[in-house]
Amino acid sequence: MASLFSVFRHRSAPLFVAAIWAISITLTAQTPSSSTPGDVVIKNATVMTVTHGTIQHGSVWIHNGKIAGVGATVNAPSGAMTIDAAGKYVTPGIIDPHSHSALGDDINEATSPVTPSMMMIDAFDNRDKALYQALAGGVTTELLLHGSANMIGGQAVVIKNKFGMSRDEMLFPNAPRSIKFASGENPKRVYGRRGEVPSTRMGNFEVMRQAFEDAKAYMASWDAYNAKVAKNDKDAVAPKKDLKLEALADVLRGKLYVQIHCYRADEFLTEEAIAKEYGYKIRAFHHALEMYKVGDQIAPTGTGIATFADWWGFKDEAWDAIPWNAVMSMREGVRVALKSDSNDYVRRLNQEAGKMVHYGGATEEEALRMITLNAAWIIGVDDRVGSLDEGKDGDVVIWNMDPLSTYARVEKVYIDGDLFFDNSLPGFGTTHFSGAMHEAGFEGNDDEGDGQ
Amino acid sequence: MKPGILIAGLAWAALTQVYGLAQTGKPGPNYTAPAPAKTIAIVGGKLLTITHGTMEDGTIVMSGGKIVTIGPSKTTKVPAGAEIFDAKGMTVYPGLFDAETSLGLTEVAADQNSNDLAETADEVEPQMHVADAFHAETVHIPVERLNGITNAIVAPASEDSIAGQDAAIQLYGRDHDEMLMQPDIALAMNFEGSVRRKANFNGPSKFPTTRMGLASQIRQAFLDAQAYEVERAAAAKPDHKGAPPKRDLKLEALLPYLHGEKPVVLGAYEGYEVEVAMSLAKEFHLKVILNHVTHAQDVLDEIASYHVPVIVGPIYDSPRPDERYDAVFSLPAELQKRGVKIALSSAGGGEGGSRNLPYAAGYAVAYGLPYDEGLKAITINPAEMFGLGDKLGSLDIGKTANVVVSNGDPLDVRTTVKQVYIEGNAVPMVSRQTLLRDEYMPLTTKKP
Repeated sequence: MASLFSVFRHRSAPLFVAAIWAISITLTAQTPSSSTPGDVVIKNATVMTVTHGTIQHGSVWIHNGKIAGVGATVNAPSGAMTIDAAGKYVTPGIIDPHSHSALGDDINEATSPVTPSMMMIDAFDNRDKALYQALAGGVTTELLLHGSANMIGGQAVVIKNKFGMSRDEMLFPNAPRSIKFASGENPKRVYGRRGEVPSTRMGNFEVMRQAFEDAKAYMASWDAYNAKVAKNDKDAVAPKKDLKLEALADVLRGKLYVQIHCYRADEFLTEEAIAKEYGYKIRAFHHALEMYKVGDQIAPTGTGIATFADWWGFKDEAWDAIPWNAVMSMREGVRVALKSDSNDYVRRLNQEAGKMVHYGGATEEEALRMITLNAAWIIGVDDRVGSLDEGKDGDVVIWNMDPLSTYARVEKVYIDGDLFFDNSLPGFGTTHFSGAMHEAGFEGNDDEGDGQ
Repeated sequence: MKPGILIAGLAWAALTQVYGLAQTGKPGPNYTAPAPAKTIAIVGGKLLTITHGTMEDGTIVMSGGKIVTIGPSKTTKVPAGAEIFDAKGMTVYPGLFDAETSLGLTEVAADQNSNDLAETADEVEPQMHVADAFHAETVHIPVERLNGITNAIVAPASEDSIAGQDAAIQLYGRDHDEMLMQPDIALAMNFEGSVRRKANFNGPSKFPTTRMGLASQIRQAFLDAQAYEVERAAAAKPDHKGAPPKRDLKLEALLPYLHGEKPVVLGAYEGYEVEVAMSLAKEFHLKVILNHVTHAQDVLDEIASYHVPVIVGPIYDSPRPDERYDAVFSLPAELQKRGVKIALSSAGGGEGGSRNLPYAAGYAVAYGLPYDEGLKAITINPAEMFGLGDKLGSLDIGKTANVVVSNGDPLDVRTTVKQVYIEGNAVPMVSRQTLLRDEYMPLTTKKP
């Protein structure tokens, strides 16, 4: 336990105390509701669709968990459960494309710079209070990533924030697989101080190239084996299945979305060059605080970014960060999302989006897209969530006012048409949660637990 | 612009900022012309005066570094020759006051060489003066003040029971001496579990490792200071024989606080920590400003009964697993409702920096704090807590002309500050970040 407590940076109650309180509140927790109503209509609201403007006095109709209509009027059946949202705002659920919530203290397997077979789902703790607090901030989908200690980290898990449901029920069905890469100061620091490679950016990228060379050799050995089998060669001996090389091979086969933690402009270009050399696509750069310097160069590659609104200066590679980065990169042609990388900021991503109006003059729709549709694209679920369009999942948030305002509060959160959070309820305001929440010993930043 | 020129320009900008070359070369963002401030009139704005309400169409005149006139535009005469800032459609308010920052004590948090945050060899170090470490030319200050922060308390990091003495600064001026408003304005104290030197099964452990140890050590320090004062007083008498006591910087530093001349900023998070810390403070008659109290929801009435001001937060501290999601967001409102004078600070408010101070106030308003009280929590209240209420924190005649003009509600994240005045000087709306922005802005017009 000593080593666990030593990593606390936050002044949170020690875990054992938390557990005792958690047990004591079991009696007051909400009981799970029975079933999703077939039809839900939210009417008279200011509806921010993200894809086709804002509708005054509009309605959103959710049928069997999917959005069935959005507009000034909708053709919902008369028996639909109707919520009068006069004076309120309605948006799609907020999406966080970079989170380490609900991974306990298992964010980084910082024992080797290449750990692609780590599966974050194996660490997923669906009762983490961070999920509840994010839900109360309107967050309905999250990409839970490995940390940034390793050049090639583990494989992410995509969740729907159905807090109170089982682990399996919280998984985003059929979401694409993502893998976390990282370069720069974190892997340098973690391995450099142990006298291991990488301790420099040269080392960073050489570790990556070597990993892909190993993967290519592995793939070739399987290709040779399969060729022999195809020729009915009785002496064919199957190579040993190797989880690590198999995962890297999946990167080269294009089966994994590559999500790269890096900050500096030169690193985006180097990462793109290596991706080109080995024939894989980069889905997004995460943090990407210097994208404004080379957005015009990166835009043609199609790689997006998941960035902070205004974080800066906390380390050397964040020294040139400017709060105009997101909007400038967007204007340079890059697809831009905002993300939390934090159990704190995930609760108020709407404010982070609001800052984009201030820093760079984004329109409200552009700002909102950064925490909805563009974030969904980074995860690869933009055909299912991220906007209020017919056929998409019924993930909808009702706000007391314009969500880009500092003063906005979440009133209700629906996921797949089911109510998961209602601010007007006493207690937690949750509708499916009962029992005790857990508390991770971490704040949810991606350089935590990297063996410092 | 060619990349080479661009890089050279940035390098110059960085050098002037980091090494303070601005003062010897051409004026940079931290430079204040030594010439006396001109007379400037801000005309036609919505004035948030803080002390006497909102004036929809008001005019404010600044001269000699002070506010000299304030009133409705219709009836307020602008002196001849005054420079006029047309603030029609804009909002005008006093410069914001951040009740706790690390400004000038750290540059790049991860770079230990750039940090002067706290001495950690001992728990009791009142003889540490942050004024001695305050780096006036920090790149952070121009960044923060562009969001309307004009004054701040610089405090040592909360790593010791008595971490040192805070300084009050103005976020504009030609150098350290000019920007330092008042060194040693308050004593930084902490009583929290995370402060104690951790006992470690694998390494050395040093007293104190428990809250018992912390409390006893703090008590002993103040007792020693009292004894030192008695000894010193005795030695000062004409009939005293023998050598006077050796000057003890540490104990001497505690005396103004034992006399209640200056406030002690007492940090505690949990309810029981607040109670223990306050009992120590009462024992020695300290003039307390409570700090944090983010997990003291169960003793709010008791806190109100202390009749001391509170710097609440960071309100972004996570509630416990058994608490509702807004248990900390609503703390400012809950305390204010009980009659407690509250301030907010940016300390612990995240990697965005002190520039996000007004949004913390806005968030507190979202969770029940009356709007006017939200504004006060980042203007007049902290100014008064630190004894600077006669100079700062409101738009009143005679006060220092620290004034901000923005295009909207100061507490809203969407609002942009248009102009900051500090001591009546129009602060250049430039920071290292705006220079970077402007250098690369041409790329944004070349959409593929």
